[in-house]
Amino acid sequence: MLTHAVRPHGRSRQAIYNLVAFAILTLGALPAVWIIFTAFRPASEVNTTPPVWIPQQITLDAFASLFGLNPNYAAGVPVGDYLRNSMITAALSTGFALAFGTMGGYAFSRFEFKGHRVVFLLIMLSRAVPGIALSLPLFLLLRNFGLVDTVHGLAFVYVAVNIPFTVWLMDGFFRQIPRDLDESAYIDGCGYWTAFWRVDLPLALPGMAAAGIFAFLAAWNEYQLASLLTRTPAAKTFPVGLYDFTSQFTVDWRGMCAMSVLMMIPAILFVIGTQRSMVRGLTFGAIKG
Amino acid sequence: MIRKLLLLVGLIAVLGISAVAAQDSEPGYAGLDQRFDGVTIRMATIGGAPYEAIYDTISQWEEASGATVEIVFLGDGFEIDRYLKTNYAAGTVDFDVAWNHTSFMTQYVDFVEPLQTYFSEEDLAQFSDAIIASATIDGNLQLIPRHADISGMHYRTDLFGNADLQAAFEAEYGYPLAPPTTIDQMYDMAEFFVAQDAVQYGTQFAGKEEALSGRYYELLVANGGNYFDDAFEPTFNSEAGLATAQWMRDLYANSLIPADTPNLLWPEVAQNFCDGNVAFYLEWYGWYSYFQDPNSCPAVAGNFGILRGPVGASGDIHTGWAGAHAFSVTRASENKEAAASLIKFLTSEAVQYMEAQLGVLPVRDDVWARIISDASASGVALDAERLQVAQEQIGSDFFTPPLFADWISFTNLWTPILQGVILGDASVEDGVAQGVDDARSLLDDLGYYE
Amino acid sequence: MIADAATVIAPVKARRSAFERRKLVFPWILLAPTLFIIAAVVIYPMIYSVYVSFTPFNLLRPETFAFDASRMFRNYERLLEDDVFITAFFRTIIFMAVTVNLEYVIALGLSQLIARVTWGQGLIRTLLMIPMMFAPVLVGFQYAWFFNATVGLVNNALMSIGLMTTPKAWLVDIPTGIFSIGLASMWMNIPVTTIILLAGTLSLPSEVYEAAEVDGASAWQQFRKITMPLLQPFVLIALTVRSLDVGRAYDIVRIMTDGGPANRTEVVWTYVGEMAIQNSRFGLASAMSMVSVIVGILFTLYLFRQLMKSRVVQ
Repeated sequence: MLTHAVRPHGRSRQAIYNLVAFAILTLGALPAVWIIFTAFRPASEVNTTPPVWIPQQITLDAFASLFGLNPNYAAGVPVGDYLRNSMITAALSTGFALAFGTMGGYAFSRFEFKGHRVVFLLIMLSRAVPGIALSLPLFLLLRNFGLVDTVHGLAFVYVAVNIPFTVWLMDGFFRQIPRDLDESAYIDGCGYWTAFWRVDLPLALPGMAAAGIFAFLAAWNEYQLASLLTRTPAAKTFPVGLYDFTSQFTVDWRGMCAMSVLMMIPAILFVIGTQRSMVRGLTFGAIKG
Repeated sequence: MIRKLLLLVGLIAVLGISAVAAQDSEPGYAGLDQRFDGVTIRMATIGGAPYEAIYDTISQWEEASGATVEIVFLGDGFEIDRYLKTNYAAGTVDFDVAWNHTSFMTQYVDFVEPLQTYFSEEDLAQFSDAIIASATIDGNLQLIPRHADISGMHYRTDLFGNADLQAAFEAEYGYPLAPPTTIDQMYDMAEFFVAQDAVQYGTQFAGKEEALSGRYYELLVANGGNYFDDAFEPTFNSEAGLATAQWMRDLYANSLIPADTPNLLWPEVAQNFCDGNVAFYLEWYGWYSYFQDPNSCPAVAGNFGILRGPVGASGDIHTGWAGAHAFSVTRASENKEAAASLIKFLTSEAVQYMEAQLGVLPVRDDVWARIISDASASGVALDAERLQVAQEQIGSDFFTPPLFADWISFTNLWTPILQGVILGDASVEDGVAQGVDDARSLLDDLGYYE
Repeated sequence: MIADAATVIAPVKARRSAFERRKLVFPWILLAPTLFIIAAVVIYPMIYSVYVSFTPFNLLRPETFAFDASRMFRNYERLLEDDVFITAFFRTIIFMAVTVNLEYVIALGLSQLIARVTWGQGLIRTLLMIPMMFAPVLVGFQYAWFFNATVGLVNNALMSIGLMTTPKAWLVDIPTGIFSIGLASMWMNIPVTTIILLAGTLSLPSEVYEAAEVDGASAWQQFRKITMPLLQPFVLIALTVRSLDVGRAYDIVRIMTDGGPANRTEVVWTYVGEMAIQNSRFGLASAMSMVSVIVGILFTLYLFRQLMKSRVVQ
């Protein structure tokens, strides 16, 4: 199993590695654990001095209010709409960013064409431009095509946001696939497209999974552009919907935690779903050994 | 003058009518007398729990007028402002009725229809004169107010009623301990309560965004100063301006207000009071039922009183920075008559009475009369008292921020500087001088002095 | 096919040259969708912003969109005189440099550690990725809550164990305000960097290490002489991505402090956002964006050169 760079030295030393790694990562995950705990606490346990570390009681009150099931709060939030919009936007933009980004990454990893560096640079630099600088012209552009306040318009923008990183990652992954494979495919009479499609792409699938996770999470979590390009529950995504309650959250921290947990579920499901490929993607370099 | 006279005539006429109406004691509707068959009125307005209840009554207007109403946008104050701004700027206005607010209205002047042609003096007779007057820019009525808010002095009756504290205070400061009626007294009492360990913070104010520059503004006005003169020259480097900044800075430097004051906004200061951490402060009326609920605020429920805002060095001006939520008709609307009719309905006595029952402060005299009479029957004296105080404040103390379109830009510029003064990053003189300089160059850029 | 005649005359050569010719075209076909989308979503708006930065454009005054050559540099003059902008600008650069480097060091350590873990790799990756699942908006809210002076966990915990007697206003005071933001931002971003470096580490050829082992190289020597150089492209990718993201670290700052109080935590993008949206001064805001984007581009160019160099070495 350990075909990679590092080899353990002795059992005790290995045990220490394992323990230290788990200790550090658990520590790092604690703030998240606190959020999850708080979402399920009764209100009396929130913000106390001294803090109640382990919840003494579990309740779904905070979630009930979120969905408008709590009579003390007037209206619920269109959580279902936000969920649907976030899903569609993230799925569409991830799919396209991955497809186009993989093609782009392949182009850069395999071909020395005129303007190679300039174009690569251009794509990289496009990521350096922040949403706020793009906001108004993008709004005007999308308006011309009737795409303001639509999930498609937002997904289109997210494709551009995600492409540079995908291109980079895929460029790196393709570089790890020995060129000999292509050369032998060409000798066998394959065209470029066939070599890409039949030889390199299957080997790069794990890499695409890794790139996909990043693209999905970026789209799922994006706030700034979404807040400018969407405005009604027809297209508002989770982070924007979340901001609806800012005034409420400044006091209702438990509600905020419940919302966070709710918002994380699809992200967790997606990551778990792709975890296997992700692991393969991460250890991909080992394949060629 | 003629306007006042006309108003008076109208008022008398309406009082006569409402005296008759009061006998059957059913609040009246308006705007239900015209037909707009087949017309669709689109509305972009403020959302959130206390605001949305009256939108449910729209079906009555739809029935009477034959028109349909479509609400195209609901959002909180921040969001609706941004929504309106982007649409006004991009020329994408596809709604007829828009939210408006006395503090925001100057930004929208070019995009909303003057309403004096749609609303007769008689239609307006019941509305607060102070609000209608301040919402009239260059003779054009910008909006029809819906409800207003102003800050009253909220104080803890247990602390002010405590005999030991009363004795100790009088011994030290030479005058009796009673809820503060001047800005100087506020400082003395804050200092006293904290020194006595009676409470964590003597007083407090929200220390960011417009909340801070607005609070500073009303203290400044009460101290006899103002932000600008009539020619929009900044004038808050006056003695009053410096004294007000110094007052805020001293409160912070001596820990009489919360350490995180510059990060507090409305909900946080309300929560501090609710938790019993504050002796007295200026607060909007909207939190009343929350504070009175023993489940949410056991520390203060039944344990506080409300007074008119304090006077400052001016000697006769009370604090009274106020605002009113309102409706306007957009200039782009193709059905302005119908839109105005819908606004008439939404701001009619009956609908406004219903909204006032949810706890917001009305802007119509007939509604005031009704809710004060209702509250007198509750058995809690403060229920009616606070309304009388509020009505007095809205009647006599109501003033809007300076009426220029770039008020929010100005507060964005001035708030961080004032925060710096409060935190001690800059001296009072330097901070105020910088504020005046920056304000002048902002207004200069915008062509105010041309 | 292309030319039967050619096939007859010199079949192999013709096939080869058509093949070579397509080699020039094929990458462009692959790149076409990417370039189209980037042109629409980034390049067009950038051209628009460049134009607007030379006008006094105010969102609510359409007439200010007009170009006036005599005043075209006014926005740029204004921003040079604006102490808040200049401070925010350098604060952003320092914030970026410090957080990205700290993140990098921690992530490098973590990735080497995780690569050596022999059991529970799945669990450990899940633990590692937990912070990534929180939207920046959420992270902002959460850390604002943790560091809240009145109800925050940090104060509650410190006061209950007697380390503090009066609540501390973490987000107000200097320098704890910017530190808190940095902590939140690093918490969210270390996993990303770690995963990239971990992927790189795991992809390194094991034969090299075996050979080094045979030669008797110590673990440290292996790390210095083999891991670090081979990891270089991954390090540069991670650094580049993160630098640009920190430059855009808008959500967290906006929610935790919104640049305040008294501009103590103002970064370029919160200030630009305030100018553009709240103050409607789009011309000035665009000029500020331009200056910042250009600096970002120069920095990216530098990293890009490094990346290319490391590729040549590889």
